[in-house]
Amino acid sequence: MSDVGFVIAGYGVILGGAAIYAATLVRRLRAAREASLRIREQAEQAPPVDRTA
Amino acid sequence: MKTRILGIVGLLAVIGASVFGLFVVPADLNQGDAQRIMYPHVASAWLGELSFGLTALAGIGYLWRRDLRLDAVAHAAAEVGVLFTAFAIWGGMMWGRPVWGVFWQWEDPRLATTALLLALGIGYLLLRRLTDDPARRATRAAVVGVIAALDIPIIHFSVIWWRGLHQGATFGDPAKILHPSAPGLFVIALMGMLSAFTIVWCYLMIRRYQLARLDWQMEEHGRLGRISAARRAASVPSPAAEEPAR
Repeated sequence: MSDVGFVIAGYGVILGGAAIYAATLVRRLRAAREASLRIREQAEQAPPVDRTA
Repeated sequence: MKTRILGIVGLLAVIGASVFGLFVVPADLNQGDAQRIMYPHVASAWLGELSFGLTALAGIGYLWRRDLRLDAVAHAAAEVGVLFTAFAIWGGMMWGRPVWGVFWQWEDPRLATTALLLALGIGYLLLRRLTDDPARRATRAAVVGVIAALDIPIIHFSVIWWRGLHQGATFGDPAKILHPSAPGLFVIALMGMLSAFTIVWCYLMIRRYQLARLDWQMEEHGRLGRISAARRAASVPSPAAEEPAR
């Protein structure tokens, strides 16, 4: 195979980059879901607002 | 669960298309093995342009309907578009060095306009960080998204309008789609890689859209929380106010 270095670099960065991005996205999504759940629980536990004041 | 299955299918499809492009398809007579980089390069370029086209369409939709879900689609497409455009540029550089003798040439209109699209995409993402107001952010981003998308037809026709290093459009002539001049295996490899990348693109788009929606909902919760806290603070008299004047 000729120009092996360029072929490996081309495929490696593209496929590796897509894999890293997908993994990061899944991790960010999981963290956001956990944070969203936490905020919802805190909102449910918070005392009601006195709107008459 | 369905999205996870889509991701697994995309992963397997990309592995299959890469093995086919790297080991099954013969090397090009003139370009040698460097030609194999064309498969992910062309697929990335098409999907990058598709992403920014979607950003513009969703942005126009937002300006029309003022629906923040459309802004989330535009945001997701822009981020994925930046990724695939960067891949297209990288693949082109890795192919260009052994075939053209240079990694990059600014004088080439297709290279320069593609770099401009990447810069506009990054600018779009940076612009979104300038304000916390969702409506203002979405409006500004929609305008920039539409401006960025104006570059897509310029990229496509740049090889026809101006002279440069880059070869003509891969499927510029509609007749070529049905009767391509390239050997059948090359076309199958390209179409296989494009299909595999499209599945991965769909997966990334869904995941990024879900993240954009969650981010927006959390922002909204945070805003409501601050309003509630302010109201609560206003309704409870402070100790200083209760203390009798001396």
